[in-house]
Amino acid sequence: MKKISLAITFILFFVISATLLGLILYSPLSVLARSLANPEIRFAILLSLVTSVISTLICIAVAIPVAYALARYQFPGKRIATLVLTIPLTLPPLVAGIALLLFFGTTPWGKALDQAGFAVIFTPLGIIVAEVFVNLPYLIRILRSAFSAVNPRFEYVAKTLGCTDTGAFFQVTLPMARHGLLAGTVITWSKAMGEFGAVLMLAGATMMRTETLPIALYLNISGGDLDLAIAAATILILISLFTLCAVEYLDRDVHVF
Amino acid sequence: MLRIESLSITLGEFSVRDVSLEIRAGEYFIILGPTGAGKTVLLETIAGIHTPESGRIFLGDREITSTEPRSRNIGMVYQDYMLFPHLTVGENIAFGLRQKKISPAKQRALVEEMGSLLEISHLTNRYPGTLSGGEQQRVALARALILRPEILLLDEPMSALDGRTRERMRSELSRIRRVTGTTIIQITHHFEDVFALADRIAIMREGQVVQAGETSDVFLHPADTFVAEFLGIGNIIRGKAEPAGNIARISPASGPSFFAASDIAGDMVATLHAEDVILSAEPFASSARNCLPGTVVEIIPSGSTVRVILDAGFLLTALLTRESCCDLHLEPGSRVYATFKASAVHVIPVTSQ
Repeated sequence: MKKISLAITFILFFVISATLLGLILYSPLSVLARSLANPEIRFAILLSLVTSVISTLICIAVAIPVAYALARYQFPGKRIATLVLTIPLTLPPLVAGIALLLFFGTTPWGKALDQAGFAVIFTPLGIIVAEVFVNLPYLIRILRSAFSAVNPRFEYVAKTLGCTDTGAFFQVTLPMARHGLLAGTVITWSKAMGEFGAVLMLAGATMMRTETLPIALYLNISGGDLDLAIAAATILILISLFTLCAVEYLDRDVHVF
Repeated sequence: MLRIESLSITLGEFSVRDVSLEIRAGEYFIILGPTGAGKTVLLETIAGIHTPESGRIFLGDREITSTEPRSRNIGMVYQDYMLFPHLTVGENIAFGLRQKKISPAKQRALVEEMGSLLEISHLTNRYPGTLSGGEQQRVALARALILRPEILLLDEPMSALDGRTRERMRSELSRIRRVTGTTIIQITHHFEDVFALADRIAIMREGQVVQAGETSDVFLHPADTFVAEFLGIGNIIRGKAEPAGNIARISPASGPSFFAASDIAGDMVATLHAEDVILSAEPFASSARNCLPGTVVEIIPSGSTVRVILDAGFLLTALLTRESCCDLHLEPGSRVYATFKASAVHVIPVTSQ
C-alpha cells in the first residue's frame, strides 16, 4: 500500500508540475513580455484588477454581518437561509450567470435598475455583479467558521469591561478572526480575478469593454492568437500561486479549503 | 445590596427558574451545584449578558434588569479567563480603561498599580498565550478589578488550576477582597473554596436555588436529601489545629478535641464524611484514633439510610443503614460512642478571616 500510494502521489505531482510549467515555459520570455505590453492584455489586466478589487470589497462588507449573524444568532428559518446562501457555491457559474441575466433582463426590478442608470447586462458593472454573486457565499462560509471559532464569552467579557455590542465586535471578535478574514479576502479576490462563466453570461465577452483576463484568454484562443492567450493564462497562474502561498501562511489556524 | 427577584431565563438547554437571592455588600457568596444547574447563566444574567424573561435585579437601590453590561459596574472572570489573545497583558488589563477614554498616562499608572497588587507587573509586555494558568488567572482578575467593580463575578475561576496554585489563588482572592472591599459571587465545584472563602452559599439544582444561607447552616441543616447528598460531607467543624506528633490535634470551638492526619496548624475547618463515623453502644478497641461519647439528638431517615445527629460537645452526623440503626436501638436521647479514623478527617486552613 505504501509503495502504490507514494508512486501515485509522485506521478500526480509530476503531471501537475509538467502541465503548468509547460504552459508558463511555452512562449519565450521576450514573446511573453511583448504580449504583456499589448494594449488588449493591459486593458484586461486593469479591468480584472478594478472589478475584482471592487467586488471583493463589496463581498467583505456584506459577508461580515451575514456571517456573524449565522455564527452567533438563532433566528427562525436559519437552516433554510443557510441553505439558500450556500446554493450559489455549488451552482455551475454558467447557471448562476444565466439566472442573473434573466433577473436583470426580464424582471421589473432589473428593468427599473437599468432605467435608473445601473445597466448591468453586457457592461463592466455586470462583471462586478457576477463576481459578487458567485463569490459571496464562499466568503460567508469562511467568515462564519472564523467567527464561530471565537468563543462568545470574549465578547461578554468585553461588554462587562465597557464595550457596546459593536465595540466588542470590532475590538475583540474581528481581530481574533483576522486570519480567516485575510485568507477569505485573498481567496475571494483570486476567484474574482479568474471568474469566467458567470461573467461571460451576464457581462458578455466584448473585446476591450468587458474583457477580463479569463475573457481575454477565451477570446484570443478562439481567435487563434495563442501568445496573447498564454500571456493571460500565465498571469492567472501567478495569481493562483500567490493565493496558495498566502493561504498556506494564514491557514495555520483557519481552515478554508 | 444585590437583590434578585424571581428571575427566570432559558438559554438552550440551560435555564434559571424563579431564582430570588440577596447578596450583601462586601460579602463572599458562593454558588454550588451540579453541572447544568444554570449557575453560569445566572451569573451572566447578573452581568447583563442575557435579558431575563421575567424577574428583576437591583444593585443597591438601582434597578439594573435591562441596563447594558457596560453600565452595571459588575466585573466578570471566566473559568478559561478569556484573555484577549491579540492584546498584550498590559493592553488586556487596560482594556476597560480604554473604553472609558481614560488618558494613556493615567491608564499606565493604574495598570502599574494593579500589576503590583497582583504581582504581575513583569508580564506587561507578554501575550496571554505564553502565560501559565495561574498567571492568566491573575491577569483576568486585574482586568476586571481595574474598573473597581461593585461586584466581581467568578465562574469557576480555579478549576483549571492545579492543587497548589489553587490554594495560592484562594488566599489571593481572600486578600483581594480584603484590600478592595469588592463583593464577590463565585461559582465553584470545590468544597475547599466554600470553607476557605464563603460567608454564605446557595445550592442550585435544575435552574432553581434549593437552599441559601450561612455556610455552616446549610451544611448542618441541608434543606432536603438532594442538598444533603450533594454536599455529602455531613460534618463541618470549625476550630484550631495544633501539631501533635505526626498528626494534628483539633480543638473545636466547643466540645472535646480529636485527631486528624494533617500537618496544618492554626484556624481551620475540619470535614468528616457522615459515612465515616461508626456508632457503637460501648467503646471498642480499634486502630481508629478518635472515639467520642455523645447523645443522639435526632434521627432523620433518607431513603435506605438514616442520618443520626449526635451531640458530642459539638454536633456530629453519622450515616447508618436502617438495619444498623434498629440493631443499636437508637432513639433521641440514647448514649452512643462515635468512632472515626484520624485519616478520615480532612483539614482545610481558613484564609478568609
